[in-house]
Amino acid sequence: MASLYSAPVLSTPETHIFEDPTTLIAPSLSPRYTDAEIYTIYEVERTAQEITTSGWRTVALQFPDSMLRDATRVFEALENTLAELRANKLNHDGAFASSPSVKQLDSQHKLCILGDTSYGACCVDEIAAEHADAEVVVHYGRSCLSPTARLPVIYVFTSRPLDLDNVIQSFESTYKERGKEEKIVLVADIVYNSHISEVSAKLKELGWSNLLAPEVIHDPASLLPNRKIEVTTEELKDYSVFHISDPPPALLLTLNSRVKDLQTYATSFPAAQQTNSAMTLRRRYALLTSLSTNPIFGILINTLSVRNYLETVTTVKEMIEKAGKKSYTFVVGKVNAAKIANFSEIGGWVVIGCWESSLIESTEFYRPIVTPFELQLTLQGDSERIWGGEWRGYFGHLDALVIKAPVSEEETIDVEVNGDKIVPLEADEDSEEESAPPEYDLRTGRYVSHSRPLRTAAQSMPTAGAKSTEDSTQTLVRRAKMDLATVNGVVSPGAEYLKTQRTWTGLGSDFQDVETSQDIEEGRSGIARGYTVRDNERT
Amino acid sequence: MVNFTIQEVRALMDKACNVRNMSVIAHVDHGKSTLTDSLLSKAGIISAAKAGDARATDTRADEQERGITIKSTAISLYGNLTDDDDIKDIDQKTDGRDFLINLIDSPGHVDFSSEVTAALRVTDGALVVVDTIEGVCVQTETVLRQALGERIKPVVIINKVDRALLELQVSKEDLYQSFSRTIESVNVVISTYFDKSLGDVQVYPYKGTVAFGSGLHGWAFTIRQFAQRYAKKFGVDRKKMMERLWGDNYFNPHTKKWTNKGTHEGKELERAFNQFILDPIFRIFAAVMNFKKDEVNTLLEKLSIKLSPDDKEKEGKQLLKVVMRTFLPAADALMEMMILHLPSPVTAQKYRAETLYEGPPDDEACIGIRDCDPKAPLMLYVSKMVPTSDKGRFYAFGRVFAGTVRSGLKVRIQGPNYTPGKKEDLFIKAIQRTVLMMGGKVDPIDDVPAGNILGLVGIDQFLLKSGTLTTSETAHNLKVMKFSVSPVVQRSVEVKNAQDLPKLVEGLKRLSKSDPCVLTFINESGEHVVAGAGELHLEICLKDLEEDHAGVPLRISDPVVAYRETVTAKSSITALSKSPNKHNRLYMIAEPLGEEVSNEIEAGKITPRDDFKARARVLADDHGWDVTDARKIWCFGPDTNGANLLVDQTKAVQYLSEIKDSCISGFQWATGSGPIAEEPMRSCRFNIMDVTLHADSIHRGTGQLMPTTRRVLYASALLAEPGLLEPIFLVEIQVPENAMGGVYGVLTRRRGHVFGEEQRPGTPLFTIKAYLPVMESFGFNADLRSHTGGQAFPQSVFDHWEILPGGSPIDATTKNGVIVQELRKRKGIKVEVPDVSNVNPLHVPLCNHILTFVLSTTTSYKRIVSFLIDFFKLRCTSVATRHVTSGSQISRPFHAMITNHGPVASLV
Repeated sequence: MASLYSAPVLSTPETHIFEDPTTLIAPSLSPRYTDAEIYTIYEVERTAQEITTSGWRTVALQFPDSMLRDATRVFEALENTLAELRANKLNHDGAFASSPSVKQLDSQHKLCILGDTSYGACCVDEIAAEHADAEVVVHYGRSCLSPTARLPVIYVFTSRPLDLDNVIQSFESTYKERGKEEKIVLVADIVYNSHISEVSAKLKELGWSNLLAPEVIHDPASLLPNRKIEVTTEELKDYSVFHISDPPPALLLTLNSRVKDLQTYATSFPAAQQTNSAMTLRRRYALLTSLSTNPIFGILINTLSVRNYLETVTTVKEMIEKAGKKSYTFVVGKVNAAKIANFSEIGGWVVIGCWESSLIESTEFYRPIVTPFELQLTLQGDSERIWGGEWRGYFGHLDALVIKAPVSEEETIDVEVNGDKIVPLEADEDSEEESAPPEYDLRTGRYVSHSRPLRTAAQSMPTAGAKSTEDSTQTLVRRAKMDLATVNGVVSPGAEYLKTQRTWTGLGSDFQDVETSQDIEEGRSGIARGYTVRDNERT
Repeated sequence: MVNFTIQEVRALMDKACNVRNMSVIAHVDHGKSTLTDSLLSKAGIISAAKAGDARATDTRADEQERGITIKSTAISLYGNLTDDDDIKDIDQKTDGRDFLINLIDSPGHVDFSSEVTAALRVTDGALVVVDTIEGVCVQTETVLRQALGERIKPVVIINKVDRALLELQVSKEDLYQSFSRTIESVNVVISTYFDKSLGDVQVYPYKGTVAFGSGLHGWAFTIRQFAQRYAKKFGVDRKKMMERLWGDNYFNPHTKKWTNKGTHEGKELERAFNQFILDPIFRIFAAVMNFKKDEVNTLLEKLSIKLSPDDKEKEGKQLLKVVMRTFLPAADALMEMMILHLPSPVTAQKYRAETLYEGPPDDEACIGIRDCDPKAPLMLYVSKMVPTSDKGRFYAFGRVFAGTVRSGLKVRIQGPNYTPGKKEDLFIKAIQRTVLMMGGKVDPIDDVPAGNILGLVGIDQFLLKSGTLTTSETAHNLKVMKFSVSPVVQRSVEVKNAQDLPKLVEGLKRLSKSDPCVLTFINESGEHVVAGAGELHLEICLKDLEEDHAGVPLRISDPVVAYRETVTAKSSITALSKSPNKHNRLYMIAEPLGEEVSNEIEAGKITPRDDFKARARVLADDHGWDVTDARKIWCFGPDTNGANLLVDQTKAVQYLSEIKDSCISGFQWATGSGPIAEEPMRSCRFNIMDVTLHADSIHRGTGQLMPTTRRVLYASALLAEPGLLEPIFLVEIQVPENAMGGVYGVLTRRRGHVFGEEQRPGTPLFTIKAYLPVMESFGFNADLRSHTGGQAFPQSVFDHWEILPGGSPIDATTKNGVIVQELRKRKGIKVEVPDVSNVNPLHVPLCNHILTFVLSTTTSYKRIVSFLIDFFKLRCTSVATRHVTSGSQISRPFHAMITNHGPVASLV
């Protein structure tokens, strides 16, 4: 009976924050497409053409969850079209030169549908496609257009219909006051992008002269992510952006500092609205500054296909290490709060993922999750960090910063006393090393000690190395009991956490408080009629 | 010229019994700095002519401009007693006639009382300055209370006597009455905070612990001084004379005898104090101010006052000043009072050791402190940071309580969060320099033994505001100071030019260091916030920040108030939350913690570090807790020391200790930012009622339980009639009667609530005491000034938290709902407060749980149970909280069983 009320055992929680950030129309609401619509919306013809021209045999079709119900029909349609094309070609070839080799090539195409994606529906799931030995992936639906590393991809954006008159009306009313000379960039969400040229042509007819309608390119790092734009950074600041359909939050943050303003024409809501993400950006700032004194970072891999992700992981690792902090790398599949909270040692997370899904705006997570770009700012140190509101989701441009050590060189105050400078005295020769000063945590306004656990290692390493070569022939190093594992002479921060922060250290640890046993005393003996207590007294 | 050398001072430091560490404390404008001047002039640090105007301890430009002290300033003085009798009168061990006086002048404005706290910590005695006319004011009381809390012995000087004479023209008897009233009220405060180990520290003029004088004119006297003069004349013992010169003692000129009756044969007798002490003073005043040259000269001769020819030429107030200063030099009176009656470090540390030290009273550190032993391991408390001329660097200002500190000594620096045996907040560093603080200047000194106040160079990067320095590896911390003010007024700052951000950040760090009370942080919406005790405090801090610490142009927001979230009732039903994997369940009830307990936690009387048994005793005896509950307090939060408690009330739950860490993390997280508006929670008690856990440890890991704990805490809080707490100021306003209407008008308009009004006897001044929400206090001073023609002087200090009136904050239609929505909007979070069903959608399993319980405990009601299963399935899936109207359908034993389990009953 209980099973009726609760979810089945070990089911995956339903909150996948890493999924496609823009909400699609709920599948149940939209009517089923007719066969003809399937052909046009899923661009079956073009897909088939491209597949045959490039001579790919095994093809993986990747659908987002909301389109899965059309998957089989698309599959059939594509298979049919491919068969037709093959037949045509066969006929065509047969008329001129029918060689057996060609026949062999033209054998059946192998199609397969990729259902559940490993990370997000907006990214191409190369790993799943490789499991099916696919040579090419056809990606349906909205896409983050992150460049892929291994497989060629055919993107089918599955265009949606758009009420053009309404868009133009809304556009005109929005910019009426500013005049027709206003510099405007026209951008649409991928699924509406096919309408852009039409809208821009119509608007130009109406006299909007300074209108840009950039075309789609596969470059999230572009000035206008994924759009080809031929103006400089400075010039773009004079443009306002008219965005058709709700932009993903990552795009909002990216554009905030790059353009003059951003008007959103929501397809569900007729009038255009000004969108301002300054507040979100400020929250991001709070988040990244809160990590500046955090000693342990977790690197969370949230993609296996975006180009250069492995290099980025290496760069991020190096950055963290240079800052004297410790990093651990995690691959947990789709991210949720519970998985992340399992690692309470980690003070903050860096997500390496596609540019749209790296931005996680949720209060459900125990520790802040930032993007590599934000991490860069975090590690920069308080004396250099400048926050002007620029934001990047894509990690492509992450240069391994030269992180300067925060002022830790031996500082001395020259105290002027009545005109005489006092030279500080030499410190006593002492075996104990002086500790590094604590760091000021901006978020809480307190000092935090040991925010760079590995920095001390870097400093003391040379001497330790010299010693070890000398003593390498010596016998085993004796270790005190309960000593923790050390990395380069420094106690592992993770182990340190386990030792100091956790009260539960395994079975038996909850019995420590129980008072120690007392001395054994001789008790009573004898029979119930009269026991003998110690000195043969009878009771 | 300075009449002592550093060598002399250093030599005196070794004789700890000849050292006096004292602070000057008082209400604002009662004349601390002016009075301090006279001591400095005696020591030759400033010239006598400037004394009284220079306010040499106000070292900052804005202090001089505004005429108020902002930072406390320390200065070391050399004093000696020439008279053998004086030495004899010292009731503690002394060595020689030379004394070292380390004096700290502190600010009087309430907003800066944290400076006073820092000053009091390093001193053993306090000179309490009270204005003759204004008497004991709110701040006098506050600082006195603080002093006594630190076990600091007070002596009193009644200042501005000249005003009473010149402006108010009071009679001698009136002046006496005014004196005695003031002393009385000081003693009332002192006896309220009586501390057994400190003994009786009430002040009595006839014991010489009260002085009278005028800082501005540079004169003061104690009864002892006059007694000394008259003792010879009358041939009486000095001590007897002192007693006769105060109170109801009269000298009958006819019988030439002392009496305690005020009349003789129907004629009024003049009080001895008036006759022998006030009379000469009154006569000098009258003669000088009425320009009677001859009378002045005879008086001078009579009193054997010798003036220089230059001074003789002076007239009016100038002459009066010179005459009085020569007649009764303030420095002599004060010096005598301090040396004779204030304890030396040796004496004071005997009774202060146990309150100063956190560790056990019998370890080497504590014994070292108790004995003020310069050879013991070093124990040094840094109470504040003083800016150096080098920008961004600070002297650590503190006191050596045991051992000796010298330049180059390697010490352990223990921050406020240090716990013995752990590495957190512990640093090892050599001290670069030890210096002597001399007002605005410093003098280098090689080493400083126990009992002295000093400045340290080179450790400022390790301590934010205060901390303990020691050489002993086992030493605990010296107790962290508790301030009487809290930073409740906040303003956010941002740079006008993004490139300046690093400078702002650096500036904020420095600001935070330079003031014991100010807080700087980044809030969750990314704003740099500066929080201070009051508007003035914040204004000074921001000015410092903009002009000095950061040095870049800033945009400063309007002041805002920090709220707290709380609960006002017990959760209406048990809140339940399931872990993400649905295998673990937490049942929780929230209830108010009670104002008293919260206050004690915030005051540091109940702390997480206490022994749990002792703490349980206190909670049970004083606050009516159940002892078993009180022993099972899991933690305090937020920040592990806030005024919210997580209490384990479960019975026999397996694996409970394993999930404790996860629950505590979740609790810290949730109490740090509450469900209503992400403000910290306060004064909530969360009871874990029951826990079901999966048998495999992998399914009850941190990831499963931490978010769950947070959710269930939120749910239980939302079910317990949540409320917002706003900070309330206690305002004390001194105002003449004719302007009182204006005060009341302003207070009413600002939601103020007057609870006390009393007239200061003998004056037209009234003192109004009121509670004023901090939120309404912005611009209050200016408003008050304009409505009373500048006659009202308010002093506001944070007093307590109070529930914000105006409906439930979770209901968007109420006034509070609107406030909450605005708060949420400002923070950039979803405007709607999460609904209980959002965080707590699972009432159904609760019913299942009950049933499981029933099933497992009853055997003979199978039929009823099976009926109820059907029944509940229907009811619970639709509306879980609906009342079962048909109670009669349930058989009686079962009904009783349900009603006996409180939360369950309210559910069905």
